[in-house]
Amino acid sequence: MTNEFYKTNRKERAVENIISVEHLCKKYTTYKRESGFKASVKSFFHREKVYVDAVKDVTFQVKRGDIIGILGPNGAGKSTTIKMLTGTLYPTEGVINVMGFSPYKDRISYVRNMGAVFGQKSQLIFDIPPLDSFRMNKAIYGIPDKEYEETLHTLIEILELEDKVMRPTRVLSLGERMKCEFIMAMLHNPPIVYLDEPTIGLDVIAKQNIREFIKQMNERGTTFILTTHDLEDVQQLAKDVIIINKGEKVFDGSIADLRRNLGNKKVVELTVDSYSEKGIVYGNKNIEIRGTTVISELSHQKTTLEVDTDVISISEFMNELSSQYAFTDISIKELSMETIITKIYKETGNKE
Amino acid sequence: MNNIKHRFEVIKAVALVTYKEWSAYRTHSMVSIFVGPVYFLVQYFIWNAVYGNQGAALHGLELEQMLRYYGAIALIGYLTMDFADWNLQMLVHSGKFLTFQLRPIHHRFFALSQKLGHRVLGFLFEFLPCFLIFQFIFKIDMIPKYLGFTIISILFAFFMNFYVNYCIGLSAFWLVQASGIRNVFQALSSVFSGALIPLVFFPDFIQKLLFFLPFQYTTYVPAMVFSGSYTLAGISMSIPQIVLLQGIILLLTIGLSEVLYRRAIYRFTAAGG
Amino acid sequence: MKKYLMIYKESMRVSIASAATYRANFILHSIITLLGNIVFPLVTLLIYGSGASFEGWSMYEVLLIQSIFTMSTGLSNMFFGGMVWNTMEHVREGTFETVLIKPVDCMFYLLATNFGIHSFGVVAGGMVVFIISLVHVGNATIVMWLQFLLLFLMGLFVMLGMELLMAATSFKWVANSRIPEMYGSVRQFGNYPQTIFNKSIIYLTSFILPVGMIGFFPASALLGRLEWWMLVSIFPCILFLMLGIWVYRYMVRLYEGVGG
Repeated sequence: MTNEFYKTNRKERAVENIISVEHLCKKYTTYKRESGFKASVKSFFHREKVYVDAVKDVTFQVKRGDIIGILGPNGAGKSTTIKMLTGTLYPTEGVINVMGFSPYKDRISYVRNMGAVFGQKSQLIFDIPPLDSFRMNKAIYGIPDKEYEETLHTLIEILELEDKVMRPTRVLSLGERMKCEFIMAMLHNPPIVYLDEPTIGLDVIAKQNIREFIKQMNERGTTFILTTHDLEDVQQLAKDVIIINKGEKVFDGSIADLRRNLGNKKVVELTVDSYSEKGIVYGNKNIEIRGTTVISELSHQKTTLEVDTDVISISEFMNELSSQYAFTDISIKELSMETIITKIYKETGNKE
Repeated sequence: MNNIKHRFEVIKAVALVTYKEWSAYRTHSMVSIFVGPVYFLVQYFIWNAVYGNQGAALHGLELEQMLRYYGAIALIGYLTMDFADWNLQMLVHSGKFLTFQLRPIHHRFFALSQKLGHRVLGFLFEFLPCFLIFQFIFKIDMIPKYLGFTIISILFAFFMNFYVNYCIGLSAFWLVQASGIRNVFQALSSVFSGALIPLVFFPDFIQKLLFFLPFQYTTYVPAMVFSGSYTLAGISMSIPQIVLLQGIILLLTIGLSEVLYRRAIYRFTAAGG
Repeated sequence: MKKYLMIYKESMRVSIASAATYRANFILHSIITLLGNIVFPLVTLLIYGSGASFEGWSMYEVLLIQSIFTMSTGLSNMFFGGMVWNTMEHVREGTFETVLIKPVDCMFYLLATNFGIHSFGVVAGGMVVFIISLVHVGNATIVMWLQFLLLFLMGLFVMLGMELLMAATSFKWVANSRIPEMYGSVRQFGNYPQTIFNKSIIYLTSFILPVGMIGFFPASALLGRLEWWMLVSIFPCILFLMLGIWVYRYMVRLYEGVGG
């Protein structure tokens, strides 16, 4: 499969674009570091420049009212892209247009119209109640009293934080703090909100609460751009997914597209009772069933297979399997998100 | 007009929040009520012993002037104290500086508002009690000769301290170990600002040099304006003259901080910090 | 006791090793503390340089007092200072339990594990001024040296007692990071010839909070200016240390009772 294969465009919907990014590039200049004494003395006087392409020719659009998940392994260029979208980093080349603003040129007026929650960079002040931090942002964004009261009231209600916002931030749980970060970022009713790892370090319930909140706000019209390593976030929230690897966009489409593009595959977990004389499954990747490959072997008894249902139907596969092997347990599942993503990372990352 | 009103609202909100934030540490401020007078007492005995032996004025300062000087630098310290350098360095190193780039506010403006809130706390819990102790318990005359000029000079010192420290803090955009620069600067400042001893005690060439360094404008100058006469390196200036010079130096420092800030932000937004 | 010496040895090794790893940082830090050290005799130098003096004391006599004071505070920072911060940090972060569960006495353990090499510059700076002053003030007899060593040790007792008291307050008065400043200011009375102060301060700093022992008394011994009543101060010094140990242990027991 080629990279081009993933680069399907999302279906055109009759909604305006809130973000349009064209041929975005970011080059960093660093200096070559050589080891050894002589080389280091040399580099003291003359350093060889090395250009690193953090983001290469990325183009995409985001429709108003979408939730877009931006995925990619560490160092793929995700956060570079987000920083350029939020106006905190200049692009080397390319055009970004968010609601008519050029983020890095019109930063001050642009940031009034966006919100951002960076999971690991808190805006709250540690020693005082969140409510005081909110009031500070009210002044910074110049939110009128009435609008502030209304928005705050709504947000507090949705997030179920009634009595919590009066307590010092330091006594709140991580989940409550994250909820307050969302209020901080959304008090001025921004039409677009950037989320960077918004559920990092939270427990399952807190994560679910945050996701519910994002969904609700999205239904009210807020567009979200989400980067995360938690695929559950993407699966539950994102309407569309953009995958970036090695600085390039390698996928852009809906989650359904993502599954389809990898072909219709099922995962079969198999437990075999003993060594069968035909035990080809063990330690041998060449299974003699059409369209079937071994993904992993947990033990001699447990094996995970991947079955391409375009090549062989599940009933045919079952027939062949039971005629060749004796097994005690079997489960058939959809290909997990994680497997899909890992595959894409691998296939698109190894081309150099 | 609207813009000015908005700015005022921001100053008010940020200062108030900072005030509340640090109110939790009121007892920390109140340590000064003990420490300030104790250090003053030490100075009191030192200079009584020195003058007692020698009688005449030292470098043009009488004993009473000397004691007023030490009282003044303690009080001025409470009004102008600043840690913008530390604060900014911490924000840059933790990456939290980004959260200011994401909001419609200039970080320097934010930090200045913060300092204002913090110093209101200092005024209430450090300056006022110590002023009363110096004035009424130690019976040192702590009323300045020219109240208006003294207030202006202390205000200039307040800003001077802030802008200089902000410049030092900006070094964190270039250096990983920026705390070293900060410590060296603080060490120099503690000696050459006049907080240790009136600057007229230093050798002549150092006194001359100090006109071109930022240190004296944060402590020595306001303390001398308080006392009503200014001399350094044999140059005597009238109070309006020295306050004007202090203002010019302040403007230069503001300009420098603006240049450095722009370069730092360019670096931050071009290279991603 | 041997166990704690071993812990001490390990802790010193770690401290020195980490200083060696961040060599540039350590050197910079040492230069800064050295710079800070230039400050301590500076005021004295400037006063004497202006032709004035502390009545009855030559410049080198005053510098001797101040260098001894500096060495004493430097050594105390090196050996005891880390404990105060460490106790405060543990109490604030709620991690003091990690110390309590160790099979050692927690006071000795915290003392032993908080050796800090970074105050070396202070001790070294004090030592240099000490030697220079000593050359100028003339010869001290063996008896005078013995008296000096005894009193210097007593000064360290006061320092340790005070550090323990401050660490102990952090259990109740959760981590007021400025408490050491209060001691730092009172300590200053030991940094100058005691004769410049008034009677009540002399009594206070000799018998109640014997900070005179940190600089002035040991220096008096070397200068041959020791008076019998100064030796009486030894008792409050020992008492002070005992009080520090007792209060610290009491607070730990209290903490165990409440926090367990």
